[in-house]
Amino acid sequence: MTQSEKPSSESHSQSSLQNIWQAITRAVLVPVLAVFTALIINAIIIRVSGGDPILAYLGLWEGAFGSPKAISETLVWSTPYIFAGLSVALAFKGGLFNIGAEGQLSFGALISAWIGFALPKLLGTSLPWILHLPLALFGGIFAGALWGAIPGWLKARTGGHEVINTIMMNYIAVLLTSFLLNGPLKDPNPFNVIARTPEIAESARLTPLIEGFRVHWGIVIALLIAFAVWWFLWKTTLGFEIRTVGANPDAAKYAGISVSRIIVLTMSLAGGLAGMAGAIEVIALNHRQELGFSVGYGFDAIAIALLGRSHPFGVVLAAILFGAMRSGATRMQFLTQIPVDIISVVQALILLLVAAEEIVRFIYRIKAPKETVVLTRGWGG
Amino acid sequence: MKKNLFTLLSALAIVSLALAACATPAPVAPTAMPAKAFRIGLVTDVGKVDDKSFNQSAWEGAQCGAKETGGTTKYIETTDPKDYDKNIAQFGDEGYDVIVTVGFALGEATIKNAAKYTKAKFIGVDQFQEKPVAGVGGLIFPEDEAGFQAGVVAAMMSKTGQIGAVLGTDVVPPVWRFGEGYRAGAVWAKKDTKVNIIYHNDVGFDKTFTDPEWGKTTALSMMDKGADVIFGAGGKTGNGALLGVAQSKKGFAIGVDTDQYLTVPEAKEVLLTSAMKLIVPGTCDLIKAVKAGSFKDGNVVGKVGLAPFHDTESKVTAETKAKLDEAQKGLAAGTLKTNVAPAKP
Repeated sequence: MTQSEKPSSESHSQSSLQNIWQAITRAVLVPVLAVFTALIINAIIIRVSGGDPILAYLGLWEGAFGSPKAISETLVWSTPYIFAGLSVALAFKGGLFNIGAEGQLSFGALISAWIGFALPKLLGTSLPWILHLPLALFGGIFAGALWGAIPGWLKARTGGHEVINTIMMNYIAVLLTSFLLNGPLKDPNPFNVIARTPEIAESARLTPLIEGFRVHWGIVIALLIAFAVWWFLWKTTLGFEIRTVGANPDAAKYAGISVSRIIVLTMSLAGGLAGMAGAIEVIALNHRQELGFSVGYGFDAIAIALLGRSHPFGVVLAAILFGAMRSGATRMQFLTQIPVDIISVVQALILLLVAAEEIVRFIYRIKAPKETVVLTRGWGG
Repeated sequence: MKKNLFTLLSALAIVSLALAACATPAPVAPTAMPAKAFRIGLVTDVGKVDDKSFNQSAWEGAQCGAKETGGTTKYIETTDPKDYDKNIAQFGDEGYDVIVTVGFALGEATIKNAAKYTKAKFIGVDQFQEKPVAGVGGLIFPEDEAGFQAGVVAAMMSKTGQIGAVLGTDVVPPVWRFGEGYRAGAVWAKKDTKVNIIYHNDVGFDKTFTDPEWGKTTALSMMDKGADVIFGAGGKTGNGALLGVAQSKKGFAIGVDTDQYLTVPEAKEVLLTSAMKLIVPGTCDLIKAVKAGSFKDGNVVGKVGLAPFHDTESKVTAETKAKLDEAQKGLAAGTLKTNVAPAKP
């Protein structure tokens, strides 16, 4: 800003900047304090159980950000967390609780892997990567979207609660995957005894971002998608409709929005995002689907969405935090020999403090904001 | 409001500083170690070093190896299969002399990292080597023979003629070989024994060995159907089966890998014996071999055996002991074969 500009406009823009700053502070204050408090409580737990909390946190930091390799590993962990977190957050915006990210992710990964290894054989020819890679990616997204759309449709059509139905869909996805990986889709290599698919073709693989590190283009895609989700929710009509249905379905209906259509759409998009998490893990990292490859990304994603306040940018930050903790845990254990389960304790404490933010507000004497955030409507809503 | 907040934050900061101040120095600070020390790292499969079973035995073996060679040892517990590489690299990058990787599932990661960290010797517990790989020793066990002996005892001790086995997943060859050996032993001892074997195949690798609830309910339902001796094999899942038998108090249980009389004391009243893989001495001996320079690439066959009967000693019949003796002698002499394939066909 130059001197020649009118002072009035300067003060105006300053105050609006101030407003934005205040809004951001208000939004991140509770989550940041929740993380901080959880780490303090956890330090006490480590200390009481005979460990050294300072060395533990030092190890956690070194293991997560201490070297280029550590940062790479953190981003590897964060990538599926971002997608899955966005999935849950998007559903929250539409007033829906997507507990099914785990199943959508696993089904997406399965289809993606199938397209990756079986399609060239089926067609009897190798595909160029420009065709094969997007096919594998979008196959996974589509599969996840389908897995999300079913409970969405059930909710819109019959009122069946999405919490129950997404949990059911998780079981179906996990058991179906287990069956297929132990049977029809199992790697036929005679030396293979593990329940997993063959490796996907080279043409379906996403390359590492930097040679020699495991971090891959998935993280870039994840960040772009996070931006896209933000843009979609706040800058498009459809996004507005989703948020309106989430905030007040009766008002949305009165305003002429087809609530059932939006519910199905929201769940499909949420499922697609989770499916993308699975697909990217397959095409960029594991290059195959293996039983038990996901250790609860879909469930951690709920914590991530809550910590990120269901905002795409908040989700990215929360996902990097969770990724860093998971990734740094190895170094932490190497240095201190305390159980890695302590990381789950931190995550649980964060979740508890974010979900029951009154505790945080009470501890730090923060006044509650005027408007309250509606996450999901209750039963039968 | 602001003031309160800062007071609290600084109070917490002081508390954490106080915690740091009273924190004793870490028992094994990495920097404090002389560069020449013989260092042994251990990476578990998805599981814990205190699982009272497989990982624990390997960890005890590593500790034994450290003691015998005057070295130090550390472990890393794996939480996600995609971290195998990273966890091994943690030791590789630090220049460890021996890296013990526990479990069949780490086989590929072990071979891959052996090529990268040529300075270290790798001990792959339960990792059968198709062909010798430079720097990798696969510690394997004739699980079928241990299972066979357990099957003999089970069949001889069963009053109903029905016995069961609650196992991890049959995609892991050692588990499958335990199960099939058990079946073969039971049928060899008493031809018309009914053997019911159930694997926890319906879940992923992250769950199949860590599901005691499933193990317990499965064992209980087998006993409801008439089985009176249950063999539990597969980490915590198998331990759950032992607990199930202990709860019903109706029959006997047989443990696996280690002497589970010691590791699952809740089941000691019903525990006949355990089909043991002598992982502790196996791992320990290999570590000593590395130190002595006599380490060889390829497979090393460890020993198996049955644990003592302990509390159930008085209930074990003379015929059972005689039959078991016959089996053990036959297996040792090679006149008795279990006819179990190396892996599920």
